[in-house]
Amino acid sequence: MTVCQFFLQGRCRFGERCWNEHPGAWGAGGGRHQQHSGGNRRGWNATSQRYSNVIQPSSFSKSTPWGGSREQEKPSFGSFDSGDSTNRNRGFGLSQNPFGTSPTSDAQKDEKKLLEGIVKDMEVWESSGQWMFSAYSPMKKKPSISGFTDISPEELRLEYHNFLTSNNLQSYLNSVQQLKNQWRNRVNELKTLNTSTKIALLSDIKDGINQAEPAFGFGSRQAATFGPPGFPVNNSTSDNAQNSSFTSSGFATAPSGSPSVFGNIPAFGAVPSTSPAITTSTPAPGFGKPEITSAASFSFKTPAASGFGSAGFSGFPAPMAAGPVGAPGAPAFGNNSPVAGFGSPGSHSHPSFSKSFSGTHDGHSSTSTSVPISNGSTTTGNELFTPKHQLTAEELGQFQAQKFTLGKIPLKPPPVELLHI
Amino acid sequence: MSLFGTTSGFGTSGTSMFGSTTTDNHNPMKDIEVTSSPDDSIGCLSFSPPTLPGNFLIAGSWANDVRCWEVQDSGQTIPKAQQMHTGPVLDVCWSDDGSKVFTASCDKTAKMWDLNSNQAIQIAQHDAPVKTIHWIKAPNYSCVMTGSWDKTLKFWDTRSSNPMMVLQLPERCYCADMIYPMAVVATAERGLIVYQLENQPSEFRRIESPLKHQHRCVAIFKDKQNKPTGFALGSIEGRVAIHYINPPNPAKDNFTFKCHRSNGTNTSAPQDIYAVNGIAFHPVHGTLATVGSDGRFSFWDKDARTKLKTSEQLDQPISACCFNHNGNIFAYASSYDWSKGHEFYNPQKKNYIFLRNAAEELKPRNKK
Repeated sequence: MTVCQFFLQGRCRFGERCWNEHPGAWGAGGGRHQQHSGGNRRGWNATSQRYSNVIQPSSFSKSTPWGGSREQEKPSFGSFDSGDSTNRNRGFGLSQNPFGTSPTSDAQKDEKKLLEGIVKDMEVWESSGQWMFSAYSPMKKKPSISGFTDISPEELRLEYHNFLTSNNLQSYLNSVQQLKNQWRNRVNELKTLNTSTKIALLSDIKDGINQAEPAFGFGSRQAATFGPPGFPVNNSTSDNAQNSSFTSSGFATAPSGSPSVFGNIPAFGAVPSTSPAITTSTPAPGFGKPEITSAASFSFKTPAASGFGSAGFSGFPAPMAAGPVGAPGAPAFGNNSPVAGFGSPGSHSHPSFSKSFSGTHDGHSSTSTSVPISNGSTTTGNELFTPKHQLTAEELGQFQAQKFTLGKIPLKPPPVELLHI
Repeated sequence: MSLFGTTSGFGTSGTSMFGSTTTDNHNPMKDIEVTSSPDDSIGCLSFSPPTLPGNFLIAGSWANDVRCWEVQDSGQTIPKAQQMHTGPVLDVCWSDDGSKVFTASCDKTAKMWDLNSNQAIQIAQHDAPVKTIHWIKAPNYSCVMTGSWDKTLKFWDTRSSNPMMVLQLPERCYCADMIYPMAVVATAERGLIVYQLENQPSEFRRIESPLKHQHRCVAIFKDKQNKPTGFALGSIEGRVAIHYINPPNPAKDNFTFKCHRSNGTNTSAPQDIYAVNGIAFHPVHGTLATVGSDGRFSFWDKDARTKLKTSEQLDQPISACCFNHNGNIFAYASSYDWSKGHEFYNPQKKNYIFLRNAAEELKPRNKK
């Protein structure tokens, strides 16, 4: 058979029905077709049906993709994306499926689009000169991707002024430089998207982040806000299984989405529902992620570290001294209140903060660990790990097994005891 | 502290046509410069409410001061008074009767400034800088609402040192707006919460952010019946989202638009993307103005979904903006907003507040 030229360009309209050869497209081709009506394989009378399953590149022009278009300023708003109808049609076409064999097609297409969107956004972010210390999410209404902290210009400026008055400008500069480097690393990671990043990302997106955004109500520190009191540590994990992290009603429907999610992603045994595997570092040790050592030490030490966190600027002192981080740089936040600026401790933006710290600077792992993030200093339990007694026998069995069994992957994070670092 | 130090020779003439300076671009729109502008970046602007005759402008700056000017119809601006905090002032607002000004500062306090007596007392305390402050006048209560980086929203009766109510926020408060009975707070990590203020403030709904990046500014708009019905949210990524609270058709009614981006050449060169520093709605026409780090302001008609005007580029970012109570004056502040970090901070650079006649330019476009 002749090789399909359009497929090679990523825009074959017929997909599996195409009469030409689609080299290597098993995932893409097989995936796309769940509903071919009986018998209507190659007949021309099925033309109309071909399009139903396939992305139509032509509609790309209308709803301009996020972050991608370079529109000049016209009198009209030009590219307004109305509401939720954004961008299922990026026209990026059908590149080869990185996931190999995978059952459902739509979820895959979405994933692909999402990933492509992320790559594009990263490129734009870098080249546009926009503010770098910002949370980011690949598509509206999705949770933010981990690895990006939100720092407003005012916060940064306040830090500058504070350090200036305490004559410690150099540490400010160092910290800023460090933040920039982390940002750059993360952006590059997302741009190049190797397999582990992809996996982590997808779990981030699907499960809803509980690291960088536990703030959004996974009951971590502020149980008071979230009506349903049943948000103790453990439930947070199941909540993560959906994308709408905000509304409390969303929590009620928690588990429904997850099983299928796990059904899709082949059992790489790497990413259980929560502890969204942030590649920089994660408290999801034992799952094959490279930065494990520092991550683990970071997560384990957290309960003890709450005292440290109060020095507001925990991220910043890190570069200055490996040792007693509390002291230097703290003057700015003299108050010792646990909630001084900079998304400090209790704040969950820190997870990405210090995680990136520990990921990239091993020497600092000790300091970064002291930031009592991931667990929120107040809760006694660790929402990252489930105490053993709260796991069912089956879940326990899964954790203890060598590999996860597809369909039986527990939704709760593993117990601390079972982790081998 | 009544009058400011130096009176700079401007401001006495109606329009600032200072012939000689043609190369410097600090006022390309030839708008009126406010006299004795603050010495450091201006973080917030606010005009007096209609209950006060005339127009008074308040500006808070990073020089720890809050200044008040009287703006006369001729365009003349007269510095009236000034108060100090011990930290940069991040937000200011007026009481509904125009007798008091509330100021929120990085020194973790908020103060109430009585203009008649020129005394300021502290009325609020937080554990971290106070980022937003609003005066709420409800039928059965009045209070000051302060949002802070300590992740709380506190409500204060100005007579007591304890807050009337404390609401937890999921993250640091970045910006807020209030038009009774609705309040919107946007927080770090793309958080967005709407509050209803009837009876007592309570959380109404948490909304998933329509924007992909950090939230920077928010402004509530009203419907034809003058009731608050939605808000505009700006981010650091040159984009504003228009969001209705209860639209008949969310997918179509809510939308986002790009703004404050450099043109670039059509498609090839990457655009420069700037943060939207402020959004303000015209009180009469319902059209909105946005100001950005690119040093431009733009006027938009959200119902016709068109842009009405974009200004020339100033040489500094525009950090704040505000309309007066009847929409005749549009004030915008030209000062560094830290969007490019400390490297581009020049303490010597002058900061300006400009006033522009806004009665004509913000008329809505007729829907085709």
